Amino acid sequence: MKLLKKATPVICVLAVVFLLLASFLYDSHERYSFKFPYKRAGLTEQQAAAHLLNRFTYGATPGQIDAVVKQGLENWFTQQLNADLPSDSLNNLLNQYDALKLSNTQIANTFPKQGQVIRMMIDQGRVNKDSVKTDRKEYRDKIDSFMREKGLRPEQELFRQFINQKVLRAAYTPNQLQEVMTDFWFNHFNVSITKNDCAQFIPDYERDVIRPNALGRFDTLLLATAKSPAMLYYLDNFTSTGADNSNANNRQIIANALKQKLLMNANDTAQVIMAINRQQKLKKSQQGLNENYAREVMELHTLGVDGGYTQQDVTNAAKVLTGWTIYPMGAYGNGILNTLNKIPAEQLAARGFVHEGDFLFTPNRHDKTEKVVLGRTFGPNNGYQEGVDLLEMLANHPSTAKFISRKIAVRFVSDNPPQTLINKMAKSFEATHGDIRQMLITMVSAPEFWSKSALREKTKSPFELAIGAVRNLNATITQPYQLYNWISRMGERKYYYQAPTGFPDRGQYWINTGSLLSRMNFGLAIAANRIPGVKIDLAALNNHHEPESSQAALATYSKIIMPERNLDETIKRLTPMLNDPDLATKVNAASANTPPASSAMQAQTMKNDTAAKAWKLVKPAAPTNNNGNSQMLAQVVGIIIGSPEYQRR
Amino acid sequence: MLNRRAFLKAGGLTLFGVGLMGGIPGFLAEAAASDKLNAPYKRKKTLVCIFQRGAMDGLMAVTPFTDQYLQDARPTLFMSAAKSQQGGPLIDLDGRFGLHPGMAAFEPMFREKRLAIVHGIGSPNNTRSHFDAQDYMESGTPFNKGTSSGWLNRAVGLLGHDSLTPFSAVSMTSAMPRSFYGDNPALAVANLQDFALQMRGTPTNVNMVSRSFEDLYDQTATGLLKQTGRESFDALKLLQKTDLKNYKPANNAVYPNSPLGNSLKQIAQLIKMDVGLEIAFAESNGWDTHFNQGTQNGIFGRNVADLSNSMMAFWNDIGQYQDDVTVMTMTEFGRTVKQNGTGGTDHGRASCNFILSNDVNGGLVHGDVKPLSIENLEDGRDLAVTTDFRSVFSEVADKHLKITNNRVLFPDWKGDQIGVMRA
Repeated sequence: MKLLKKATPVICVLAVVFLLLASFLYDSHERYSFKFPYKRAGLTEQQAAAHLLNRFTYGATPGQIDAVVKQGLENWFTQQLNADLPSDSLNNLLNQYDALKLSNTQIANTFPKQGQVIRMMIDQGRVNKDSVKTDRKEYRDKIDSFMREKGLRPEQELFRQFINQKVLRAAYTPNQLQEVMTDFWFNHFNVSITKNDCAQFIPDYERDVIRPNALGRFDTLLLATAKSPAMLYYLDNFTSTGADNSNANNRQIIANALKQKLLMNANDTAQVIMAINRQQKLKKSQQGLNENYAREVMELHTLGVDGGYTQQDVTNAAKVLTGWTIYPMGAYGNGILNTLNKIPAEQLAARGFVHEGDFLFTPNRHDKTEKVVLGRTFGPNNGYQEGVDLLEMLANHPSTAKFISRKIAVRFVSDNPPQTLINKMAKSFEATHGDIRQMLITMVSAPEFWSKSALREKTKSPFELAIGAVRNLNATITQPYQLYNWISRMGERKYYYQAPTGFPDRGQYWINTGSLLSRMNFGLAIAANRIPGVKIDLAALNNHHEPESSQAALATYSKIIMPERNLDETIKRLTPMLNDPDLATKVNAASANTPPASSAMQAQTMKNDTAAKAWKLVKPAAPTNNNGNSQMLAQVVGIIIGSPEYQRR
Repeated sequence: MLNRRAFLKAGGLTLFGVGLMGGIPGFLAEAAASDKLNAPYKRKKTLVCIFQRGAMDGLMAVTPFTDQYLQDARPTLFMSAAKSQQGGPLIDLDGRFGLHPGMAAFEPMFREKRLAIVHGIGSPNNTRSHFDAQDYMESGTPFNKGTSSGWLNRAVGLLGHDSLTPFSAVSMTSAMPRSFYGDNPALAVANLQDFALQMRGTPTNVNMVSRSFEDLYDQTATGLLKQTGRESFDALKLLQKTDLKNYKPANNAVYPNSPLGNSLKQIAQLIKMDVGLEIAFAESNGWDTHFNQGTQNGIFGRNVADLSNSMMAFWNDIGQYQDDVTVMTMTEFGRTVKQNGTGGTDHGRASCNFILSNDVNGGLVHGDVKPLSIENLEDGRDLAVTTDFRSVFSEVADKHLKITNNRVLFPDWKGDQIGVMRA
């Protein structure tokens, strides 16, 4: 420990020791005992560290392999499992995004959808309804000034901040495994910005539901997603109502009270209209049973499609989960909120309401019949607890253990992981009630993880490719969204995947003719510092030692960017190109009058143009771009990033 | 198995070491343009699908203008076919239905029986959420959210042969649409000109880089990366034989300068380049007309004009290929019979769609639209869905692409065709 080595006053040392002890006692900091069997697989410690970093981080930063070896592979992994490394510099970067700290309620109040703004403006007489949706500037200006006046901001800004955050966090967090697992679980419990209703709750979903549980217990995570506004909206469970609603409908009573109150107090008709609108919405939302969530929670979140459930199980599970909805916020049921607030909490609880954060269980919408799911009886009238019990049962079902184990193994080992490995992990899942850390330990302690057939078998997703390049090249990101645009172009528009399945996790999905070209273009762009707001310093990567020749550059930089790989073939293939005397002659014959071509197409149209700009092979005087990187070097690096070897991890 | 690679090799396009930039000798380019290359692609049928996102008001696009209930429900939105109609009458199709005047370009096609309309089309799932309804329509499974593939991707798999080129299924969108999700090869590209190596440098320089990439993928990769790498470079070369940027549509076709117009123009280019396009997808946006929908010349009028003019420009442009091409529109649902308080219409149920083809049972408004009295409306407010979208989509897939396996194309669906295509 660095702190201890320093000659610090005794009292400080004691304080540190105390804190360390305290942290062992009070938080999830745990010491695990395991040993990675990579030697048996014939790997050196360096190679093993590289494999570990390839799988559990977004890419090794320069020198990180040595550091992990020095720390000890198991120690490094434990540290990653604990996910409590300080991330001050990242937090400083993220401080510029004010929306990241807002609660869902604050977000709903600050970032309304455009339709809501227009409604508000019409209701308040701020815009003539006949002028709505014209593209005239004065109309736009009116909206802008209305929003400014009310302190409202466009929803797009929220997503932008959120996405910027994601890029920066993945690139720079020292707790890489936590971020990788956050990504894994988000995709497993996918929600999508494409669904308008749930979109604004997604930042909170990732921040408060997924990330804190990414290395926790599966049942906790499952329950948290089930109760989150993002999931409740995305799979429609918020609207699901029991068929039997004959008893006193509290919600209706509340709504009526609201209407009365508003009618009495309303000083303009717009308010009354809004109240009535809200009531109508309310009615519309009470349409009956919706099975979407119940089906997907079994098919996609827990048991798997072959997990042994029937359509009857789905219907009954949907009934169990009726009444699970969202506590009113933002434009949604402000009045109901006021009324709810007036009822003392004990009284609500006594009536069976459950209010936790953004979640609300309303007993009046709950199905009060007896329900049998997978042979177990729920209810008839056990309210909120029925759903909790159901999710607990699903989370700990043997089919779930297998399904989740397989999915994790696919993510970290190979697209077709060996059944022996899945069995070991499933056993660990069952023995620990879904302790995610224990499953990961079981996986990495298994020889299958280290086998030759697993090494470099995974294809990087576009996100992994882009963030990996940033980390491998030690890039500085000042405009994260530019990277996001590239990632989208390469085929992974994060947070916008429409289906609840999440992005498929296999190479075949990511690699097609279009996306592969985009990957090559990405390599060329980032290496040439052509992505705005993403800067790399290639000379600094090699400690400002300039390679003597193009061959030397190729060898040196291949090693820096892809350490611990056998790159003989790649280097061999590229070397003749770099030294093609024919090429040099052609280049020298060209003069400096023509502007550079911006695309291959244009380049082709210039093929007979003898007046092409001179481009020199590696010489100290080689043309340099704005960051001091020689063009030759940038091209070599670009080709490496676009090479087939680099697409694997 | 004739895979893409084998074919392209046969076409003489992949000479190792011949670079991209200025590297394709004239004779090769000629070979590429010759029948030798084109022959295996010839007579491939192409289905072009246009998704109108936002839910088109079918009752305004194709209005049952003799319906008094509709006239009453839409005091400022109803248009008639009477010559006296202010701003221009509806185009009377059959004495009962009138085409919006913005779609005048469609009229000759309808009269020539090459355009069919299906009215009352929609999904059996009565969701009125754009997201859900689009999701269901594109996955082709109206009651199952978890379907991982889209129906057009499954269609690719049912074509009865391997995808011959990287351009078998192309979506002119920046991201893969839900309809194209799945295991079969499909390409999403917003702009064909982006399908190139993008870098700064001299032609020689660019050439060197692309040679390096091509060589690396050919020599150091295995499996998927190797094969896809080859296909990528083959595709690049295929596209390079055409000057995409200075494309001149045939037959004096003029595409609207709109996203849809641009998408269809590029689809026409691919069709005419004989690169093996069989399923194409494009989007048209802005149909969610809650506010001031307008009549002849408003938002809706502009939208339908763009739709019909884009489609007709495309149709004229592809000229001799018309026999091999079918264009079909779709939208997630229709809109309320009654107009709302802001001069628009809200989310409803059934809408209509258009099918343009030489094989369509055209000149007819198919489907079943009952008088719009309240007892005939779905949930007392909307044009009822009387034709399941799957019966139309599957019929078009069957008759045009010879895809008959509905169990895979639309699982859980057993329905009848409605005769919208001629045998």
